[in-house]
Amino acid sequence: MCYLCEEFGDPNIGGGIWYLNPKNYARNMYKVRLPGEGFKGADAGSETGDVFEEGLQITDAIINAIEEGDVAGFIELKKRQLARIGKVAGEEGQVVPLKEAERVIDICGPVGIMSCACRKLVRADDPRNEHEYSCMGNGVGMFKWERWPERYKGGVKFLSPEDAKEWVRKMDQKGFVHCLMLFERPYIGGMCQCDYPDCFLIRNVVDFGGGTGLLKSHFVASVDYDECSGCGVCAQRCEFGALKFEATTQKANIDQFKCFGCGLCETACPRKAIKLLDRTSLPALVEVW
Amino acid sequence: MEKIDLRIKIPEVTWGRKMPRITIDQEKCTVPFLCKRCLQICPMAVFLVERVMAKEERLKEMDPRVPGNYVLSARRRDKCTVCNKCLEVCPVDAIKIEET
Repeated sequence: MCYLCEEFGDPNIGGGIWYLNPKNYARNMYKVRLPGEGFKGADAGSETGDVFEEGLQITDAIINAIEEGDVAGFIELKKRQLARIGKVAGEEGQVVPLKEAERVIDICGPVGIMSCACRKLVRADDPRNEHEYSCMGNGVGMFKWERWPERYKGGVKFLSPEDAKEWVRKMDQKGFVHCLMLFERPYIGGMCQCDYPDCFLIRNVVDFGGGTGLLKSHFVASVDYDECSGCGVCAQRCEFGALKFEATTQKANIDQFKCFGCGLCETACPRKAIKLLDRTSLPALVEVW
Repeated sequence: MEKIDLRIKIPEVTWGRKMPRITIDQEKCTVPFLCKRCLQICPMAVFLVERVMAKEERLKEMDPRVPGNYVLSARRRDKCTVCNKCLEVCPVDAIKIEET
């Protein structure tokens, strides 16, 4: 079972799936915070100073450990990263396929979209045009304006659930992975539209082998070989290196251990030959998150 | 026996591989957010443009035109292939890559 579901799911709501539990879009937001308990909103956010700086320092140390061939040191650094998740905004999350993203939009309001902090840092891409916004914020945190970085003030476009679904479908078409983001456990504060190498979470998981808090989705993609025509449209959509064109069979091939279940290949397939299976329906993948 | 944390995975990298050392002359590279040539041309997205700020100013918007508000860093040198495309596009010759 996904450890977020174990901790924050409710068996009576949405089949125990943590992100279908409406509590997780509001919980913790209005409680009295004891001194030293968790991070405050002003400390959160991927471009707001020392919290982010510490994450980058760990990345530096990980790269040094790889260069020195220090596997034990690498594992210690991973443990440090794991100790951080849940306390730092945007360092933990889960991939969701389009259908699930739409279900989330139904319960997570209010919804606003804005520019992406990761793309700003990685490619110096900082759109001021609301048609290019690629990050979604949601829930009651959207009203805590005093804790927002200045650039978002006036730079957020609020959407109705219908428009938000339209927007997320458009992002899916473009080839972005939908990632739910935890902003201090278990508050789900946003849904990022991510790709490799521009998104920090995907990049850490793909380059450094997971453990940094981006969980795979509850689904795994599977190819129906009778239906697949080998057109190759899906092959350019996988952000995780799990899907390729298999020369022998002339069809799509998915490494289901690498598959994050984002469903981008499913939504691209013109013949509906790719289906998303429940992760729990494949016994060997139940512990692969 | 200590319980294994299933979240920790060892990546498929070449352990012990020497990686390039990239240095950026911050005196020459002053407005990376406006220039952004290296950031956008790097096929492996090695560079990051980071904000420099005091703790109490962390929520402030930083003007990218003011030299020093943003600094360029080569955080992901593990991905550098030494293709030298960044050296070619840098208008101020601020980047230096040393093979090790």
